[in-house]
This record gives sequence, C-alpha cells and structure tokens, in this order.
Amino acid sequence: MRFLPLVLKNVFRKKTRTALTVASIVLPLLVICLMGTFLKALEAPDPRTARGSFRLVVRHRVSLLSILPTAYEEKVRQLPGVEAVSDFSFFGGRYRDGGARDAFPRVFVDPETFLRVFDDLEIVEGSARDWHGDRTGCVVGTNLAARYGWKLGDRIVLVGDVFPMTLELTIRALYHLENGTSATLFFDRRIIDERFPSFKGSASTIWIKAKDAAASERLGPMIDALFENSPYPTKTETENAFRNGMVSMLGNVKLLMTSIGAVIVFVILLIAGNTMAMAARERITEIAVFRTFGFQRSTILALLLGESVLIALAGGVFGILLFVIAMPPLRRQLMLTPMLPLAATFHVYPEVLTLAFALAAGIGILAGLVPALRSSTRSIADGLRRVA
Amino acid sequence: MAEPFIRIENLVKAYQRDTQTLTVLTGLNLAVDEGEFIALMGPSGSGKTTLLNLIAGIDRPTSGRITVGGLEIHGMGEAALAKWRSRNVGFIFQLYNLVPVLTAFENVELPLLLTDLSRARRRKQVELALSIVGLADRMDHYPRQLSGGQEQRVAIARAFATDPKLLVADEPTGDLDSKSAEEILVLLERLNDEFGKTIVMVTHDPRAAARAHRLVHLDKGVLKEDIRAEAGRKEVGMAAAIAASTGFEPRQ
Repeated sequence: MRFLPLVLKNVFRKKTRTALTVASIVLPLLVICLMGTFLKALEAPDPRTARGSFRLVVRHRVSLLSILPTAYEEKVRQLPGVEAVSDFSFFGGRYRDGGARDAFPRVFVDPETFLRVFDDLEIVEGSARDWHGDRTGCVVGTNLAARYGWKLGDRIVLVGDVFPMTLELTIRALYHLENGTSATLFFDRRIIDERFPSFKGSASTIWIKAKDAAASERLGPMIDALFENSPYPTKTETENAFRNGMVSMLGNVKLLMTSIGAVIVFVILLIAGNTMAMAARERITEIAVFRTFGFQRSTILALLLGESVLIALAGGVFGILLFVIAMPPLRRQLMLTPMLPLAATFHVYPEVLTLAFALAAGIGILAGLVPALRSSTRSIADGLRRVA
Repeated sequence: MAEPFIRIENLVKAYQRDTQTLTVLTGLNLAVDEGEFIALMGPSGSGKTTLLNLIAGIDRPTSGRITVGGLEIHGMGEAALAKWRSRNVGFIFQLYNLVPVLTAFENVELPLLLTDLSRARRRKQVELALSIVGLADRMDHYPRQLSGGQEQRVAIARAFATDPKLLVADEPTGDLDSKSAEEILVLLERLNDEFGKTIVMVTHDPRAAARAHRLVHLDKGVLKEDIRAEAGRKEVGMAAAIAASTGFEPRQ
C-alpha cells in the first residue's frame, strides 16, 4: 500500500493519454455489458412458479412456416399433465406504413381456450367477455396501447400479406403481463377461418399449459413421439427455448455476440498495451534509477502492472456505471420495438457486471505484462545509459 | 593495518557484442578506505562508469573480486544485491534523475519506501536530508520548479536519506554551471567530512577531482595512476597529477 501514491502519480503523469486510454475502455466495456445482458437474457430460465409458467410450444418439426392441424389439440389434451391447450397463429401483415417501427406481433387465437393457457395475462381494461362477444374485437397489450395511444373502442386496421385481406379490429380489452412484454395484438381466429376456409383447422403453433414442472419436462418428448409418423411431425419445446429459437433465426446469435465481444476485448487490449508500452519506454532510465535504490524486479513489475490495472479498472468502472445508468432508458426504448419480448428480460445482471469488471482487470494485467516484464528485467546499467 | 572499505582484486569486465568480446576493465586492483573521497578520471570509454557500477553493485564482473564493507558483492544474486544497495549505497547522477511527477519530498522519500520505517519516521528523515542540503523550504516543489543545482541537491538528499556508507556519483557536476557545481562539491565534501561517507565520484571536471582525497586515472580499462593526496586536497602533487592527466590547472 505504501507504493499506491507512487502508482497513482504515474497514472496521472500523462493526463491526456490516461484519459484517452480510459475512454477507449469505457465505451467497449459498455458494449460488452450490453452484449452480456443480451446473452444473459437469452438464457433467462423458465419461471418455476405456477402462473405463466410450464408452457410448451408445439410447432412443425420442419419449420415455423409449416402448419399443424388443430386436431392435434384434442389428442394433446388427453395426455397426462396437460392443463390447457390452445392454438396460436401468426397473422403478419402491416400496420400503418409497415415500417420497422410499426412491427409488433399480431396473432389470431381461439378466445375460448387462449386465456386458459396464457393465465398470466391479466385483463386490466375492458373484459374477456367483451372480446368473446365481438368477433372483430381484439385484445392488445398495455405497452402496445401506450405506444400508439390506443384505448378501448379504437379501431385498428391491419393489411394482411400471408392472408391477403384488410382487417378492421376494435379494441375490446387491454392486457398486462407482469414481465412487461404486453405488446401483442390478439384477435379471434374465426375471422381468418371464415375468410380463408382452406386454413380452417390449421395453426402455426399449439400452446400447452402443463400442470407442473415435471409434466412440462415429460410432455415435450411424449408429444413429439405421438406425432412422429404423422404427415405433420412436431417439435415441442419450452416457451423459453421457443423464444430463443426465434432470436436464433437471425443466425447463431450467441456465437456472433461472443465473437464480437472477443474482438472488442482484443482491440482494447492492443490500445491499453500500446499505452503501457509507451509509458514504460519513456521511463527506462527512471526504472533503472529505481532499481539502483534497491527496488526489486518484482516491485517494479508490480508498480507497472498496478498502473496498467488501475487505468483499465477506471475504464471498466466508468463503462459499468454508464451501462447501469443507460440500461433503464435503453430498456424502455427497446420495449417499444419488435425486440420487446427479449428486452423485457433485460436487467442489470450482477454476473454481467462481474464479468465486465473481471475483463477490465484482465485487460489491465495483460496489457501491462509485457512492458512490465521488459522493464523489470532490463539491466540497470543499460537503463542508465539511456538519455531520458 | 585496517581492511579497506572497498577492495577490488583482478577485476575484469567484458561485454559480448554479437560475436565480439569487448573487454572494458582488465585485471584492475583498487582499495578505498572507509571515509575516503576518490575521483575516477579518464577519457570517454576508459571504463570509469563501468567500474563505478561494479562498485555500487548494479553490474556484475566477468571475473575478479569486489568486497565492500567486508561483504563480497561480486557473487551476490540479483535480489540480494538490490537489498544490499538499498541499505549501503546512495547514487548521484549527472542528470539528477528525479521523478518529475514527485515533489522534492517524495523524491527523497523514494528509497526510504524500501525500509521498514514508519511514515512519521520517513518524514523526519526526509526533512533532515533536505535541511542538510539547504532545501527544507522547497519540499513541496516539483523538479520543474527547481534550478539544476537545486535538483542535484535534492538528488544528493535522496542518495543519503537512507544513511548509506557509500555514495557513488557519476559526473555530479557535469550538467551544472560553475557556481552550482561548486555548491554541489562543497556539499559532497561536507558529507564526506562531517558524515563520514565514502565517496566514489566519476568526473571529467578537474575542479571536481581536486576536491577528492585521491585521483584514480583509468585508461582503456587499466588503472594508470592512483595518486593519494598526502597532505590535504590542495596538495601540490595532486594538482600536478590532475594537470598532467587533463592538461587543466586547478585553482589553488
């Protein structure tokens, strides 16, 4: 500890250079924290409480674009451990100008069974009865309603693409989900069944509410085995796995994120390493003088490494602070985009902060190691011969 | 007869440069008594600084023996030498080599950080050292706020702050004007006279050499002359020797 003031003095020896190096670590660390949060969100486990949990998604084994017969619902309902079953199909289409900002999930369901499977969906305005009583009625999430300023009774016009039709819906209820992902529009599938009879009896997915965690784990293989030799073989997975699968349709997101993270860390390492190499090079004579006083090689090594680690940790701490400050508003903004389901699981995860801090410390050690080793092992006589 | 403080026997120092071996010191013998003040002179490349580094334990000989204060330092390992230097040797450099981001106080305190002294004791020691060199009122000044002479005085305070028996100085007046150089030499004489420090000084400056008790003249790694001032520093034999070896007539 008696050398700490000396290390601090050296850290601030070239203030501009130190500030720039710290800044070069702050922003990448912020990005690392964001990517870590994204990856962590993907891994968010299924909740183990009863409401809103133990849900399974059945889809065609080949692709989400292939359909399943709704007749499967009855067969699945007979399996032990199944509490409720409902179908769930994507309408697609466009709202307003159809740009990315206006993208949100539009889903047609069977109103009778839907709320039994999605029992965590709380109607906060209007009622399920109002919705059931109006075939052109719809239920929208509170986040979505807030985004567009919708209220009960408002009319929404969707223009279909897979289902080429203009759909006029009336908001009959608003729902809220505790996890904050209330941004989907649900409407009665009978509209589609009437307009497109060929689709009647089909669904994009079938959702199951299992009785408990054990049933949830058991049912997946059972359902897939049940339909294995049918014309519509299935793939059953937990809701969380299904959601992650949707994200991974973009590609191997985890690998991509991890690779970008590794590149970022490597670049910071080069920048910090260059700074430390310059700092050590400028002080060759000074370090030799220190050693004439009797400073051991190990002490010189520790002083230079300490300097490097302090700079990297300063960058790391500022980056983490910036992330912690930026996270809530960023999350709020993402909740207004199609990333909402994922954004809802975005939190300040302690594991991500720990990882970022450890990365900063690691960068400090690695960046300082080579210059510190060189400086501490150079002969004193050689160091003194240099003109500072 | 008392054992000399520094005893050098058959000292050889050679450097390997690619395939060539460059011998800087060739079978050198020298003895320095405790409390003696000697000047090493000679042309550039004669091996003065190499000899100084070997005596101070910052370099190791190719062969030969070096004994300082009864301890054989030629065979000591890196870590042991560092520990020995921290307790026994003070260094004074031509370009002062103060740390620019540290105040005069902090610069003098540097070698004391390696001791077990408490913070309060270190402070006392630094204040004493700076008052001896006449810079007690400049403790909080940074090197850039001091003149060259003052910087060198801080460097001298740093060199004896740990109270080492041996001070080695490599051209301590080489970068100073004559007035500042004079002040530094007076200070070195005082450290030698009053505090009993053994001083080995490399210099090209005949005026500086004239302050020493003894002049050791090196040429191409060989000790050419070893002239002891028998009757004080301004003794005629010494002055004549300096004049003969440098062509410069020191002030009487």
